[in-house]
Amino acid sequence: MTFAPVLHAEWIKIRTLRSLVAGLLAVLLATAAFSALAGLDDSGGQDFDPLFSVFFGVSFGQIAAITFGAQAVAAEFRGGALRVSLAAVPRRGRWFAAKVVAIGVPALAVGLVTGLVSLLVGKAVLGTRAGGLTWGEGVRGAVGCGLYLALMALFAAGLTAVLRSAVATLGILVPFLLIVSFVIGGMSGGAADFLPDRAGQVVLHETWDGALGPWTGLMVTAAWTAAALAAGAWSVRRRDA
Amino acid sequence: MTSIDVQNLTKEYGGRRAVDDLTFSVLPGRVTGFLGPNGAGKSTTMRLVLGLDRPTSGTATVGGRPYASHDEPLRQVGALLDAGAAHGSRTARDHLRALAASNRICERRVDAVLEESGLASVARRRVKTYSLGMRQRLGIAAALLGDPPVVLLDEPSNGLDPEGIIWIREVLRRLAREGRTVLVSSHLMNETASFADHLVVLGRGRLLADTPLREFIHARVRPRVRVRTTDGAALGALLARHGHEAVEDADGRWTVPHARVEDIGLLASGAGLPILELAAEEGTLEQAYLDLTAAEAEFTAVPSPTRPQEARS
Repeated sequence: MTFAPVLHAEWIKIRTLRSLVAGLLAVLLATAAFSALAGLDDSGGQDFDPLFSVFFGVSFGQIAAITFGAQAVAAEFRGGALRVSLAAVPRRGRWFAAKVVAIGVPALAVGLVTGLVSLLVGKAVLGTRAGGLTWGEGVRGAVGCGLYLALMALFAAGLTAVLRSAVATLGILVPFLLIVSFVIGGMSGGAADFLPDRAGQVVLHETWDGALGPWTGLMVTAAWTAAALAAGAWSVRRRDA
Repeated sequence: MTSIDVQNLTKEYGGRRAVDDLTFSVLPGRVTGFLGPNGAGKSTTMRLVLGLDRPTSGTATVGGRPYASHDEPLRQVGALLDAGAAHGSRTARDHLRALAASNRICERRVDAVLEESGLASVARRRVKTYSLGMRQRLGIAAALLGDPPVVLLDEPSNGLDPEGIIWIREVLRRLAREGRTVLVSSHLMNETASFADHLVVLGRGRLLADTPLREFIHARVRPRVRVRTTDGAALGALLARHGHEAVEDADGRWTVPHARVEDIGLLASGAGLPILELAAEEGTLEQAYLDLTAAEAEFTAVPSPTRPQEARS
């Protein structure tokens, strides 16, 4: 059994669930809309970062991204669906790898489009206030936005394979992203910089002062994601279906 | 030959043995009914055969190989485990298309099994709009997708309407006629008796019986004769004289255990008693099954004191 048919099957499963397609669309809409809203607020003080203003909506778009990743995996843990899947593809490692690719590739594609749209919309809304922003920084932010959203979707996917429930995954990640990270957000530096969302979002800033730069930050997020996926793969392979 | 072979199979959950040193084979060309009370280990055994659960010890093979070692296993084994396995927001057709794609089964088979299971007209509707019977049909369609020589169905008649029950019975008979290996678990005795040629009976995870259906019934339930004449008292006396322990019911009908219609009919006509009714009462699977499992039922508090068990474990 080769990889391509398994991947084909997993891709069919993703695109035939309306909620998953809607989730991907929500990544784009939420990110672009909240970025535009953030740009309208011109009360920015000393620490105004035009690049982060352009990508401010990622804080909301990532909720849609993790929902997509969690739901895509959680669909297998309802009503014995996993048994049907693993009876068709008993090589569990291969099956999970196909699932991860079928989640990651569309998440990355939508993430990159989201980055580009947010960049264009955000720059248009900011107008002259985006003056200092170079195209190089803008492209770095857009590509970083795509990578970050895909990594967060996969982080949620791996966690869901361990917890076997989207509710459990979202119950952990959403409060974490919305509350914990905002609360710790004020305290820059230290271990908080290495949290998956804060590390990965450095790439969305024009300037940074922590230990991590744009790409090293994304690599830290990628390490979190890799750990979650490895735990998920281990769980799928070891546990009874 | 594609048989299912279970060898010393044991599965423990925590400290509890769901399947306990089970050994049996399911052979092609006949329908094997898989019986046992709730919690006897039928579903667990099926999951172990499909490589979904890991056995604590022992082996289960299909066609001589572990299930997981088959390339494109849906072409070897078709299984129905849970009717609720198809995602409610997907259409039946998309559910089957994804399954077919994973084993490189062409889309024509998807439409063929949808047609065969009577779902063609609703194939593009989302599964959550389906009744339990329709979901069950979809699960059976999925099991037949790869045209497999081995078919495992867990409670396929669950939720089916009378028409569906007749349909599944005919499907099972046909699969066996085509020389396939068919294992069907059920808790419906009359249903099982209508399609099974052979029985594998479990109780508390252990094998209680592995015999042809007819033998299973005849070994446990003695045939009886029901007889009614114009003169009940005379008949009673006649039967008693010939050593039959017959009992009379309120309608004047006598039931004679351990007897054949030939004997009782000749006896009555010899005595000049006009016979109004004479019928053989064959033992049913239900009677035989209850006899076997009376003391084995996991949730029976007190073992039945009536008869010693004929269990072969």
